[in-house]
Amino acid sequence: MKSKKYSEALLNLFKKKGFKVKEFENIIESKIIIERSGELFKKSLLSFEDDNGKSFSLRPDLTISACLDYIKNVKKGVYKYAYFDQAYRRTFGKESLVRNQLGCEIIGSTNLQLNLGIISLIDNSLKRVTKNKTTIKLNDINIFYSLVDSLKLPLRWRLRLKRHFWRPEYFNELILRLSTNSDLQKNVFELDKKSYLKMKKLNRGVTIAGRKISEILNRFQKKIKEPRSNIDGKRIAKIINEFLKINCSFKDARNELKKFEIKNNLNLKLNNFDIFNLKYKNSDIIFSTNIGRNVEYYTGLVFEIYKKSKNLNLASGGSYDSLMQTLGATTKVPAIGGAINYDNLLKL
Amino acid sequence: MSEIIKIGLPSKGRLKDESLKVFRKNKLFIKDSKRNYLSEIKNFHTNEIIFSHAREIIERLADNSLDLGISGYDLLKESLPGIQKNIKIFSRLNFGFARLVVAVPNDWIDVQTIADLEEISFEFKDRNTGKLRVATKYPNLTNDFLLSKGLTQYKIVNSLGSTEVYPFTDQSEIITDITSTGGTLKANKLRILKDGDILSSSACILVSKKSLRDRYKKITIKKLLNKIKKKG
Repeated sequence: MKSKKYSEALLNLFKKKGFKVKEFENIIESKIIIERSGELFKKSLLSFEDDNGKSFSLRPDLTISACLDYIKNVKKGVYKYAYFDQAYRRTFGKESLVRNQLGCEIIGSTNLQLNLGIISLIDNSLKRVTKNKTTIKLNDINIFYSLVDSLKLPLRWRLRLKRHFWRPEYFNELILRLSTNSDLQKNVFELDKKSYLKMKKLNRGVTIAGRKISEILNRFQKKIKEPRSNIDGKRIAKIINEFLKINCSFKDARNELKKFEIKNNLNLKLNNFDIFNLKYKNSDIIFSTNIGRNVEYYTGLVFEIYKKSKNLNLASGGSYDSLMQTLGATTKVPAIGGAINYDNLLKL
Repeated sequence: MSEIIKIGLPSKGRLKDESLKVFRKNKLFIKDSKRNYLSEIKNFHTNEIIFSHAREIIERLADNSLDLGISGYDLLKESLPGIQKNIKIFSRLNFGFARLVVAVPNDWIDVQTIADLEEISFEFKDRNTGKLRVATKYPNLTNDFLLSKGLTQYKIVNSLGSTEVYPFTDQSEIITDITSTGGTLKANKLRILKDGDILSSSACILVSKKSLRDRYKKITIKKLLNKIKKKG
């Protein structure tokens, strides 16, 4: 069977590079996911309750399972996971509840070259197993954050754009709002000023629905100081849209970004990004500012691998240095991983 | 298959009174139903009227143990997609008007829009005091609305009643609730957000799609709906 042939061959290649093939627990406590991702991911969980009312879910994603395994069993040092197993998610269309996930993760390594090696490992393995030529797309999402920081925007807006970068649809709505100045609430401020003056006389330590009066007043003041009317939203939206269209050969990436920087009078602090120091033998690497926007927990380098002739996505991944802590690790644990697009692999 | 047409009507309150009026206005006379949960239209084909909770009417239409019913648009939209796909809205009626809205404490003067709420939700997350809690009787509609507006960092607290007091009794920070005049929210020191309208609701005549696939039932249901249509 084609599927078995591919999965076994890929896992063997991962094993040869020191990855350990692991099986993870089927059930995880729902609280772990909900505390991390809120209601957004909860919708996808297949959950049930035990007799004590505690909620559990079938594992929704094997990267999360690998992280939980590291926290529970490995605890420190470098661990290289490989897996081919099933994850379970509620579906809203015709998709199956069961998803086959084949991937690998390096958790706990601060060695940049080792971490980045995961991209060439997946790429080379795919080439060897499928006998197809591939194209790699690379990006570092911190370059976008650097762009946002260099724009003349109120802090509230900067945070908003960063927080929603990974949700392209909603992000586009934000850009539209930014360009049309449509969320201006100046008249409302006037109305609430009365309440503001009244509240200033109250004890600032008093809590109203989980928020101290001091917090409410501080934020209100901050909003008044940063009125939206002073922003050149149209221009900023144009710059962001232009940035997200940068798509060039990886060797030209730095120059392209430099040109963009000069044209728009920005400072992207390009020297801070390791991505430009990467040396790849594979000449077919594309730099694209618009990839890696589908996973909430990516924090830096992101990659996608395609079958060259058909532009068929075969794998994707990225670094996720904050995920471990939000799942319960007591310290920051760097991590990077990638998953094979198993369904597309079978189309080859 | 049973040839009796089963009709579900709300079992109490204004929704019940107004539903009965719809039938009366169209000269469809329902046997006295003050205490009994079962009744019938005296001057129509073989039928049975079952008085149920408005939420239950939706469920029973979906599983086809009712053929036709009156319930709230809000309750239909709150139900799971698998239930909604089995129910057809025949018409929206002229009563039971209400809005499902997002409301915050009056004193949160810095919060006027969902965008503000989104920022606050991250403050809660960063303080590590847990997620912003949203109390509601409508978790599905609330989730769809908040997520579409960019709010992701929150937790739903399911409420069965008196949702308005939740923010002041440390059970939640904000709420979504159904309101017709806004009076109850105001009395409980809550304010509707400027862009906090989730859904406008009213009572509806709903039909089970499975019943419409049964030739006999389809004809009978259509006859009944035509009578109601005249003076809906």
